[in-house]
Amino acid sequence: MAGGRRGAQLPHLSKMERVVLSMQDPDQGVRTRSQRLFITVIPHTAAGGDVVAWLIRKYCISDEEALHLGTLLVQHGYLYPLREPRSLQLWPDDTPYRFQTPYFWTSTVWPAAELDYAIYLTKKNIRKQGTLVGHEKEHYDQLHRKISHTWDLVVMQAREQLRAAKQRRKGDRLVIACQEQTYWLVNRPPPGVPSVLEQGPKRSSCAADRVQMSTEFYKQEMERCRKALTRARVKSSVCLEAYLKFSGQRGPHDPMMSGCLPSNPWVSNEDAYWTINAPSVAVPTKLRVERWAFSFQELLEDPVGRAHFMDFLGTEFSAENLSFWEACEELRHGGQAQVRATVDAIYQQFLAPGAARWVNIDSRTMERTLEGLRQPHRYVLDEAQLHIYMLMKKDSYPRFLKSAAYRDLLAEAVVPPEAKRRVFPFMRKPLHASPSPALLPASPSGEPVAATSGPECGDRGT
Amino acid sequence: MAREECKALLDALNKATACYHHLVLTVGGSADSQNLREELQKTRQKAQELAVATRTQLTAALRDRGLGAEERAEFERLWVAFSGCLDLLEADMRRALALGTAFPLHAPRRPLVRTGVAGDSAGVAARALSVRSLRHEAEGNFDVDDLRQLEREILQVSEMIQEMEMKVNVPRWTVQARQTAGAELLSSASVRVSSVGAVSVQERTGPCDPNKALAATVFSAVLLAAVALAVCVAKLS
Repeated sequence: MAGGRRGAQLPHLSKMERVVLSMQDPDQGVRTRSQRLFITVIPHTAAGGDVVAWLIRKYCISDEEALHLGTLLVQHGYLYPLREPRSLQLWPDDTPYRFQTPYFWTSTVWPAAELDYAIYLTKKNIRKQGTLVGHEKEHYDQLHRKISHTWDLVVMQAREQLRAAKQRRKGDRLVIACQEQTYWLVNRPPPGVPSVLEQGPKRSSCAADRVQMSTEFYKQEMERCRKALTRARVKSSVCLEAYLKFSGQRGPHDPMMSGCLPSNPWVSNEDAYWTINAPSVAVPTKLRVERWAFSFQELLEDPVGRAHFMDFLGTEFSAENLSFWEACEELRHGGQAQVRATVDAIYQQFLAPGAARWVNIDSRTMERTLEGLRQPHRYVLDEAQLHIYMLMKKDSYPRFLKSAAYRDLLAEAVVPPEAKRRVFPFMRKPLHASPSPALLPASPSGEPVAATSGPECGDRGT
Repeated sequence: MAREECKALLDALNKATACYHHLVLTVGGSADSQNLREELQKTRQKAQELAVATRTQLTAALRDRGLGAEERAEFERLWVAFSGCLDLLEADMRRALALGTAFPLHAPRRPLVRTGVAGDSAGVAARALSVRSLRHEAEGNFDVDDLRQLEREILQVSEMIQEMEMKVNVPRWTVQARQTAGAELLSSASVRVSSVGAVSVQERTGPCDPNKALAATVFSAVLLAAVALAVCVAKLS
């Protein structure tokens, strides 16, 4: 079709095309008959029921699904009904349908253009001798306003296309007119009918399909591929092992998978769970304390954990490491105006020779840090902070986990009991306070499946 | 005069484009055949010849500085119609290439879509070429070679369009078309299509003259026979 921006074909349209093509197989395809209109005989009519039966046989699907799939095909214009052309639905009885010609298949690669629509409406105007009604009349007027400069071409083409059509025999003329009408019913649907080509709001990756295939583009592609070759990659086997380990470790801690004690606040309307797991609480829960053993990051992120770790470091006389780390975090995330003052304070307290709480950093890092301190900015202490972090992680953290302090914490930690839900006296099964989809068995009754399928037979009132 | 010539060429191009569009509609359907591909080739080659001729004439006319304002407006109108027509032709050619590649005629495992169009389209092609009838003389693998030819021709047409844009500077939006909305209705009787309301397939097929004539003949024959028998019976008795 003339003009229009060409995109890629939507995947569901390609799939529908393949289905329609496999329906055309002379042995395995849908059975077709001829349609008789007084003296004209037009071949290749398929009954709705035959189409549904073919879909069931070919894809081994249920009745409902086949009907739904067939309706999708009709709504997207790959099949059109012969008796009521405006109602695009699939009736599974012997309502006749015909296949659409590939030129008029719905496509985002060849979007329908305004000029073609104008020509179609003009042809219709001629055929109906000026009695276009409703939304078509509105569109016609709109188009005339929009593209009035090419209206000469529109009129000329409309007339010539009609004259060209007259050269064919009557049956073909009827079929081609039906095909064109269906195409425009799908691409410019009447008001009230949802458009099948509507795509939702585009995600930002749509920039990819606006690109021009030029030398610039290919140069950039080559650069991108070259850089991608040098990237470090992790084997998927390694990734997946790590993922499995992570899931296995975290499984018992996940409220969805293992339920949350005492009760799920969203279910039982009690917020005991949240108060017990508040950021600063006197006695942490057992699960929380176990989590501190997963990684150093977990320990540091939990305020209670950090406090206990600080106490432990105090007993080992290396508490200044954690204080230094905390001070650096404050620097990184603090206000811009306080950067200089904070840097000075940190230097005085931790880095200056003979400072009160001197931290043990290796000489090379210390040199570089002191260099950077001449022009202090937010990230000037990053190297030192990382060094101390790794020191704590490799050295103090494992000792903490093996220490008596941690063992006591684990022993003292509380395991909240599951709250009892108020049970009605005549209930056979007690309800869980924290229903988790992983814990509950699949219930046999389940939800009632909505048994309203499409029109099976009978009422077809359109 | 130059204007009449241009108009005539443009009309011929318009006719060829419309016929080509009509032929491309059936590619991939049940009427697709060697003959159709041959007709497509002939039609589009004719259209290209006409396009080149029109272009030379129009460019010559538009580059002529000595044209009056009204004449220039007229030529600009023709130019806009011409470039629109050429865009339509190029789009249809690209579509024909895509469809022709997707539906090769001699591949055993790729059947054509059963669309119900069964007749031949020689009349359409003949109309485009302004001849009375068309002879088909294609050999075996015509469609495959034709596709390659089509690709080259598409490139030629795109180049022609680009060249046109470069050479002549006619801003489309300033052109006032001569036809107004509804102008297609005020036309000669030859445009009124006899298959009025041909959309609903349940319609009566118009005044079916052959049927009625046949019925009338049969009825009158039976009537005559009855009258003759009655006369014989009367005479005998």
